[in-house]
Amino acid sequence: MKIDRHVVWTIAMKDIKGITSNKQVLIGLIILPLIFAVIFPAAFILLIHFVSLTSSDIEIMTNTILSGLPNGGIKDTINALPSFNHQIIYVIVNYLLGSMFLLIPVINSMMIALNSFVGEKERGTLESLLFAPITVKELFIGKVLSAFVPTMVLTIGSFVLFGVITTVITYPIFNDFIFPNTNWILLVFWLSPIITLFTILIEVLVSARSKSFQEAQQIGGLVVLPIVGLFVGQATGMLIISPIILLLVGLFLLMINVLLLFLISKYNNRNTLFESQV
Amino acid sequence: MAPIIQVEGIQKQFDARPVLHDVSFTVNKGDIVGLLGPNGSGKTTIIRLLNGVIEATAGKILVNNWDPHSQGHEIRKISGILTDGAGLYHEMSGVDNLRFFGKLYGVNDETRIQQLLEDFQLADHQQKKVGTYSTGMKRRLGIIKAILHNPTILFLDEPTNGLDPEGIQMVLQNIHTLNKQYGTTIFLCSHILHQIESVCTQYLFLDHGTIIESGTKSELETKYIKEISVKIETNAVVNELNPLYKVVKQDGSYITFILQTKEQLPRLLEEILKKQFWIHHVEIQNRDLESLYFQIRGVKNEDR
Repeated sequence: MKIDRHVVWTIAMKDIKGITSNKQVLIGLIILPLIFAVIFPAAFILLIHFVSLTSSDIEIMTNTILSGLPNGGIKDTINALPSFNHQIIYVIVNYLLGSMFLLIPVINSMMIALNSFVGEKERGTLESLLFAPITVKELFIGKVLSAFVPTMVLTIGSFVLFGVITTVITYPIFNDFIFPNTNWILLVFWLSPIITLFTILIEVLVSARSKSFQEAQQIGGLVVLPIVGLFVGQATGMLIISPIILLLVGLFLLMINVLLLFLISKYNNRNTLFESQV
Repeated sequence: MAPIIQVEGIQKQFDARPVLHDVSFTVNKGDIVGLLGPNGSGKTTIIRLLNGVIEATAGKILVNNWDPHSQGHEIRKISGILTDGAGLYHEMSGVDNLRFFGKLYGVNDETRIQQLLEDFQLADHQQKKVGTYSTGMKRRLGIIKAILHNPTILFLDEPTNGLDPEGIQMVLQNIHTLNKQYGTTIFLCSHILHQIESVCTQYLFLDHGTIIESGTKSELETKYIKEISVKIETNAVVNELNPLYKVVKQDGSYITFILQTKEQLPRLLEEILKKQFWIHHVEIQNRDLESLYFQIRGVKNEDR
């Protein structure tokens, strides 16, 4: 059956309005980008710049990351920086904060998508939707879009904000632009949409099967773990993000997304969705 | 009239727990059918099956000649539904709820939305969030949602639940109008029997997951009412009347007689009047739906 775009957008817009008109939800969604894209980076960079750091942990971490980088290119650029503090800031801005930045699309899309079906079930409105002349596919796409659109707006908005703040702070220190590099562009415009979709598909799948938000949260929350893994990978020098790695991770997740879409369309018919709420 | 709903030998189980077994019935176009049964007897399950939102374990269903399992989408386009909880978004205003559901049903007619809000006396409350509505207002909004797209078949699950007498009157009136004006077939579930008695043309009695009886009220009366209990307000002296008319209760000027047939009633009245007694009021007591309901369930339970 042909997908009715009008119906899909009606469902998506209803949910998006629900998010934007609910102050508590909106504040929750904005606080996270504020912490990860503004407060945390600014505080970190300024702290390192103005306070002479003697912490051996940060020194070890920076050296670990540097040693993980391939010879030439970026490694030479970093080594050529005037002080060790400059090196730390460069590494933090371009490597550590990147993986942390991914938490914005992941956590935000997780919170929205988790609520997608469970929210309807808890309010007793899923029944109304299933009785309506809309296909389950249209309902799913609507739900996915309702989480995807706000998440991407917040992610790109955070990226711009992060870029402005980082540049304002780092330009006087470096007398040059150290941001954005290829990693960041790929992170925001390639990996973020894919990882957002991945998170949403997982959460929508979990949400469709759960009876309460709490139940969905317990299983759905696990999706943050790979991002934590990526961060730990950076800090320990085990996996240093590079354009190639970002492309490959993106491709891998893209394949998983296709698999998830297949699973969703196969196992979520009206009957299972309906019976999951009663 | 041609049948619009045909159900044959339907069975439904939830996790091996049987809810319906061997349910068969037919509903003709333009009928107002009341599906009656105690709580948990499977009334709502039948509505869900007819709309194809759940699948039957066995049996055959046709709604407007469509199979709900494979052509449910077509059925849902022509059917309107009021579920028990009404299924409205509490954080949205009344009118926004209608606009949203209107779009899902392909209705973008603001005039119609406003007209219905007016008809159901919700026009002044349309901008308020549904969460602030009273139970009756939610129910009325739910009914507007159900009839917004002018459905061919209207399914109403406990439509008068939580309504005050005025609300009940308004809903019943609208059911009647829809049926008369547009020929809408109406399938309603209820356990508040005296309320739906005035609107239904056909009845289906559901008990223990199966249809135990069906028919029009007069058909059911003929079949089940063997004795007639009649209450007469009169100054008649009982001893002076024919002992054939058994008196079961006397309370001041109200006398309750038990008659063997309906035909005995005019004869009894004639006798009272002939003897120069007055009659102010006559009422057959055991022909209301509720009495029929208990009669039918009683008989069927004895048969079990």
